[in-house]
Amino acid sequence: MNAIEVKNLKKSFGTIHAVQGVDFVARQGEILSLLGPNGAGKSTTISMLSGLLAPSEGDAFIMGHSVTAQAKSAKESLGVVPQEIALYPDLSARENLVFWGKMYDLRGSKLKQRVDEVLEIIGLTDRQKDHVGKFSGGMKRRVNIAAALMHKPDVIIMDEPTVGIDPQSRRHILDNVKELNHQGMTVLYTTHYMEEAAELSDHIAIMDQGKVIAYGTHAELIRMVGEQTRIDLTFNAEVEAIIPLWKEIEGVTSLDATDGKVTVLVDDSNRVLPRLIEVAADGGVRILSVDIQEPNLESVFLHLTGRALRDS
Amino acid sequence: MKILDIAFKDLTRSFRSLFAVGMTIVAPLLLIGLISLAFGGAFNGNSDLPAVSVGVYNADRLSDTSILENALGENIRSMFFDESVESWITARDFSDEKTLRAALDRREIGVAVIIPPDFSDRFLAGERDTQVLILSDPTLTIAPQVVQNMVMAMLDGVAGGGIAIETVLERQQLQGIQPDPNLISSLVNRYSAWYRDFQRDLFHNPQQAALVMKASTGEITSENPMQQMLGLMMAGQMVFFAFFTGAYSMMSILEENEEGTLARMFTLPVNRTAILAGKFLAVFLMVIVQGIVLIIAAHFIFKIQWGDPWMVVLALLGQVVAAAGLGVLLISFVKTSRQAGPVLGGALTAMGMLGGLFTANIAMPDAFNRLAAFTPQGWVVRGWKIVLNGLPINEMLLPLAVMLVVGLILFAFGAFRFHRRFA
Repeated sequence: MNAIEVKNLKKSFGTIHAVQGVDFVARQGEILSLLGPNGAGKSTTISMLSGLLAPSEGDAFIMGHSVTAQAKSAKESLGVVPQEIALYPDLSARENLVFWGKMYDLRGSKLKQRVDEVLEIIGLTDRQKDHVGKFSGGMKRRVNIAAALMHKPDVIIMDEPTVGIDPQSRRHILDNVKELNHQGMTVLYTTHYMEEAAELSDHIAIMDQGKVIAYGTHAELIRMVGEQTRIDLTFNAEVEAIIPLWKEIEGVTSLDATDGKVTVLVDDSNRVLPRLIEVAADGGVRILSVDIQEPNLESVFLHLTGRALRDS
Repeated sequence: MKILDIAFKDLTRSFRSLFAVGMTIVAPLLLIGLISLAFGGAFNGNSDLPAVSVGVYNADRLSDTSILENALGENIRSMFFDESVESWITARDFSDEKTLRAALDRREIGVAVIIPPDFSDRFLAGERDTQVLILSDPTLTIAPQVVQNMVMAMLDGVAGGGIAIETVLERQQLQGIQPDPNLISSLVNRYSAWYRDFQRDLFHNPQQAALVMKASTGEITSENPMQQMLGLMMAGQMVFFAFFTGAYSMMSILEENEEGTLARMFTLPVNRTAILAGKFLAVFLMVIVQGIVLIIAAHFIFKIQWGDPWMVVLALLGQVVAAAGLGVLLISFVKTSRQAGPVLGGALTAMGMLGGLFTANIAMPDAFNRLAAFTPQGWVVRGWKIVLNGLPINEMLLPLAVMLVVGLILFAFGAFRFHRRFA
């Protein structure tokens, strides 16, 4: 059964078409990542899935319930972790969870038990009485996730839950996501960090400019760029004049230059790299660093859009 | 149930906010406490006026033909030097107006009384453009009123006596009896002496002075007029802050919108109308709690006698509906919580002033009272005056009806705007 099914979903704000006919599915019990740069349409898509925005066209289904026609049922199956910390800073962690639990109709001993369980999951049992406003960014993020788990949803949507936090908290959150998935929850995870998508996901949908431009497992997506290697170069001077020359080098399949950094996809780095250096030297540009990487999701995005994921 | 949960959460947050508690409970009590202390302390229920320092320049002299033995100016002057008022009035004579005004400017005296030349003759001749000039330190509120009232009471009495004597003379003339000039002079002087004594009795202490002052405003007197005046001030402050509480409680919806918690609530299986209803309920509950706490606190701390409990309940009901209604409407026009501060501060202070919340204990001109009727605050404070003055319930029906109808209309309009914006 598909836990999430998105069909031709569109959203426009006046003349701006934020989401332009998105289709994807997430099977029950899997982690699906929506990967894309800022402004790709990820947050707008999940806003429609979670009932915050009404689609301009199309529909989406959560555990078979239409988000437009059966919004209440769809929401009952869904837990949403917003990108920003959406908690009450002047309430304690426990009080926050109690409030959000009540909103899901949990009461009495059932509520108390679930609050205890969730605090255990996020590792904040001993800080449960402290006001959330006093927590570190990472701890707030964990409570932010916990609030969405109170009713044991079938599907959980996480909108960039690791933005702006320390590596330790990030690790904790990623481990939480895996644990929740092991417990049977379907996770829709949006991120612009390709490493997170690669580590967590059963399937990845790459979004750009309001569209899903690629969908598949990590391995399937990597195969899209074949055996191509990615080379990142930095320089001591502007390189705009020599970029056309580099593009003409045999074996260069894609090239993106931004902020003094050039990312090139090549068929054979051993053969192409000397030519890149030679052309740079002829143009009076000195190469400061070279980084050669095996194909990854960044390469896929560059291959598909001609732009690096980090720059978009 | 979820509506109650949302309202309870909002109340919990409000009572944890120092700012909210300060604005809701502490500030109005503190203000009344300061006013009470300014009166010499009303906490024991025996509040006194602070000593009133009066300077008098009396230029009034009797003409040779006057039928009076003592000039009216001297009668007025002597009121402030009489031993019956020496416990609360200290008076000084000044030899000229300039020195008197200078003393007032230096705040050596609180109130200056200037009696012009020929005041007695001109007053008795019916020249109403002649008048005793009363100047005061602008920081004083009650003392100048008391002094003015004493002067007015004296002159009203003299004028009334004059009318009575004229009436007697006219009747005598109609009956063909020639008035005896000596008898007239005797009557006038006896009346004058009697009235002076009456005045002494009338103003023998500040409580009595305040009682007379309140009677002159056309309002009901009580056994403890100072407490009643404090009650009116307390009511004015309570209404002022109730309207702030209504608006600031509703502001939580803007804060939640900015914090992202409102959006999060919209992802829950909870009807958006129910979410808004929970927020509105919190506003009503907050204003109710504030009103109850202030009424009880004012009773026990300042000994304010609020009167019939059922009338208090009706006035509080009207206050809650009007304050919550206006609060919801005002916030519905505001986009962000940063905007809300100056907008609410300006709008509610201006409406409070127009509504007479800061002059609840002072008789204001009719034009001002008519203007106050255009604000919800004006009607609410009118309701409290009815309660504090112990008027019957039928007097309350119109203000209550206006408070409820206006409050509900404002609320409905504000709720409609919120529903369109968020739901």
